Amino acid sequence: MEETNFVLLWKEHYEKIDQTLAINQRLLKETISKKAESALQSLLRLKARGIVVAVIYLILLGIVLFYAISHYSSAANYFIVSMGIIFLINVKALYDYIKHLVWVNNIDYDGSVTEIQQKLTKLQLSIFKHSRMMVLQFPFWTTFYLSDKWFPQTVSWEYIIFQILMTASFTFLAYWLYKSQTLANANKKWVKILIGGSGGNAVISALHFYKEIEAFKQTS
Amino acid sequence: MTLRDKPGLFSALIQSHKGIIYKAANTYCKDADDRKDLIQEIIFQLWKSFDNYNAAFKHSTWIYRIALNVAISFYRKEKRRKEISHPWPGSILNLVDSPDNKETEGQLLFLQQFIAELKELDKALMLLYLEEKSHKEIAEIIGITETNVSTKIGRIKAILKQKFSQVTI
Repeated sequence: MEETNFVLLWKEHYEKIDQTLAINQRLLKETISKKAESALQSLLRLKARGIVVAVIYLILLGIVLFYAISHYSSAANYFIVSMGIIFLINVKALYDYIKHLVWVNNIDYDGSVTEIQQKLTKLQLSIFKHSRMMVLQFPFWTTFYLSDKWFPQTVSWEYIIFQILMTASFTFLAYWLYKSQTLANANKKWVKILIGGSGGNAVISALHFYKEIEAFKQTS
Repeated sequence: MTLRDKPGLFSALIQSHKGIIYKAANTYCKDADDRKDLIQEIIFQLWKSFDNYNAAFKHSTWIYRIALNVAISFYRKEKRRKEISHPWPGSILNLVDSPDNKETEGQLLFLQQFIAELKELDKALMLLYLEEKSHKEIAEIIGITETNVSTKIGRIKAILKQKFSQVTI
C-alpha cells in the first residue's frame, strides 16, 4: 500500500468519527466548573495511604519528643538528640515528597512534547533522589535508648565496644547507602528492593523514558 | 476575553477541535473506560491552560501539545490509575453512531496495530504525520528540529511499508 493511502485511510476513518462525535455539555460544564477535582485532590487520593501513615508516624514521634523536652532531664539527652534528628529527617523527607508530587501534578502541559515529558520525568526522578536521605536516620536508631544515667559509667567494656561497633556500622551503612542510591545504580537489584515495589519500578521506567527522550531529540 | 466569555469560548474551541482530543486519546488508550478518563483529563488540562494560551501558536498546535503530553503521561501512569476508582459517570466525547469501516477494516486494523506497537514519542509523530501536519508544525509540537522530523518520519514510513508488504505477501 502506498504511503498516501495510509493517510487517506486515516483521514476517511476519522472524518466519519468526527461527524458522529457529540459533546456531553453537562460533563464539559462540570469539568470547567469548580466541581472538577483539582490536581492536588487527585494526587492526595492517589497517595493518601502513604502520606497518612507518614503523618501519623511523625505525630507519634513529635508527641514522644515533646514529652521528653517538656519533662527535661539530662538522662534523656541521647533520646532527645536522636529522636530530634530522626524527626527532622522524616519531616524533611515527607515535605520534599509532597512538594515534588505537587509539582509533578501541577505541571503546565502547554509546551513541546519532549520538553514537558523531560521536565515531568526529571521531577519523578528527583523524588527518588530525595528519598535516599531517609537512610541517614539509621545511626540514630542505635543511640536513642542510651542515657547518661547509666552509659557509659555503669556498663561493661564489652557493652561499650558493642555499642560503638553497632553505631559505627550503622553510620557506615547509612553513608554507603546514601552515596550508592543514585540514578546510575537505579537498575541494580538491591536498589530496586530498597526503593520498593511499584515505586521503584516507576523510577526505573522514568529513567528509561528520560534516556529515550534524549535519544529521540538527537538527529541521526 | 472576560471571565463571563471564557466558558463559552472554551466550549466552542473544544467543539471545533474535538477530533484532535479524540484521536490523541484513541492513539494512547485502547480501553474505553480509561479513554473516557483520559479525554476528561485532557479537557481539564486545556481548561487550566486556557488563560495562558499563546496566540503565537495555532489553536490546533496548542491543543495537540497539551493532548499529547497528557496522553503520554496518562499512558505511563495507566497501571497506577487503574487502582483508583473512576470518578466520572460518563464521557465528554461520545460516538453517536459507529462509522462503517467494513471495506477498510483490515487495513485500518493493521495501521492501528502498527501505531500501538510504536514507542510513546513515535506514536505522537505518527499521529501528526497521518494528520498531514507540516514538518514545521510537527517540530513545534514535538520540540525537535524539522530535519529531525523528516528523518524520523522517513524511518517510520519505511518500517510501515515493510511491515505492510510482509502482511500482504
